[in-house]
Amino acid sequence: MTLFRFANMRLGAALLLAGTAAIPALLDARPASAQVFTPNAQIVQGLQASVDDVPQVSAEALRGLAQAHMKYTGPPESRPPLAIQLDQLAQINVEIVFDLNSAMIKPESYRTLGSIADAMHNPVLLGYKFLVVGNTDATGTRELNMKLSQQRSDAVVEALSTTFRVDPRRLQSVGLGEEALQDARHPDAAINRRVQIFNVGRAGALAQQ
Amino acid sequence: MRFLGLALAAVLALAAGPAKAQTVSYAQAAGLLAQHCGGDIMNHCRGLNLGNGAIHNCLVQNAAQLTPACAANHAGIREMTEARAAAQKQVYKTCDRDVAQFCPGLVPGDGNIVSCLLEASKVVSATCTASLVNAGYAQ
Repeated sequence: MTLFRFANMRLGAALLLAGTAAIPALLDARPASAQVFTPNAQIVQGLQASVDDVPQVSAEALRGLAQAHMKYTGPPESRPPLAIQLDQLAQINVEIVFDLNSAMIKPESYRTLGSIADAMHNPVLLGYKFLVVGNTDATGTRELNMKLSQQRSDAVVEALSTTFRVDPRRLQSVGLGEEALQDARHPDAAINRRVQIFNVGRAGALAQQ
Repeated sequence: MRFLGLALAAVLALAAGPAKAQTVSYAQAAGLLAQHCGGDIMNHCRGLNLGNGAIHNCLVQNAAQLTPACAANHAGIREMTEARAAAQKQVYKTCDRDVAQFCPGLVPGDGNIVSCLLEASKVVSATCTASLVNAGYAQ
């Protein structure tokens, strides 16, 4: 059971590649209550990068692009990719399991959510903002997928910002539906059902609440 | 009192490592909730989410139907999350004088107060250090 897939890391890629082989075994072997290993350090590393040189990516802009992308009515594999340079951002892909056709995060993913929160509270990332992006595969209607993915990314942000106290001013949520398939040649593949978290730059001064 | 055993195990696990935090990580608490109450949540709280206390409220409302493990532990597990959150908030109060002394003129934001305190870790007060550890900011 590999809970985390890491993509496009700009820092420490070699280190992480070397580490990935060991992670699934450790996750499987670890009793849930022992603090032997958490993937927290890996999440922190994946989301840590100098993003000062990357153009601003806003939730609104991304949502607009996804809506515009719905005009391409051909089969998923024939549609052009979303025209946005998200690859430049420090990011991780996270597997969060939702109940079928629902925005309910299943309990098996609670620990993953907690790990993401721990990473966002890590001093290294404390000063950054994040975009939480939900994606579905191409099963079902595009409109429903768009709506469902937005509800799911909202549910993730809600848990992070309420239960786990990540400042809501550091979080934005976008659902891209099936408009940004990771594997467009296999539109129904599980790899497309993912939550992405992007580091979108410094949070700036936030008054304490 | 399964929770006592659970808490003891958590404390022992922590005591064995380098960190001496009196709180546990959000991941650890959330993992324990899934472990003890995952089935109960799917049975009694389907469709609800962790955010805004919805799962907690649901477990409280269905107290009579819960499995013994969930009934015995869910409140304690919630306390773990609340304790970590309180510890993170507490840093700014506990370390007030250290901030004034070692991070003068620092404008809060970008996590820079915590960063400054960590950089000054050799000289900050013992209470501030303990607070940083409890918050999970330092080991």
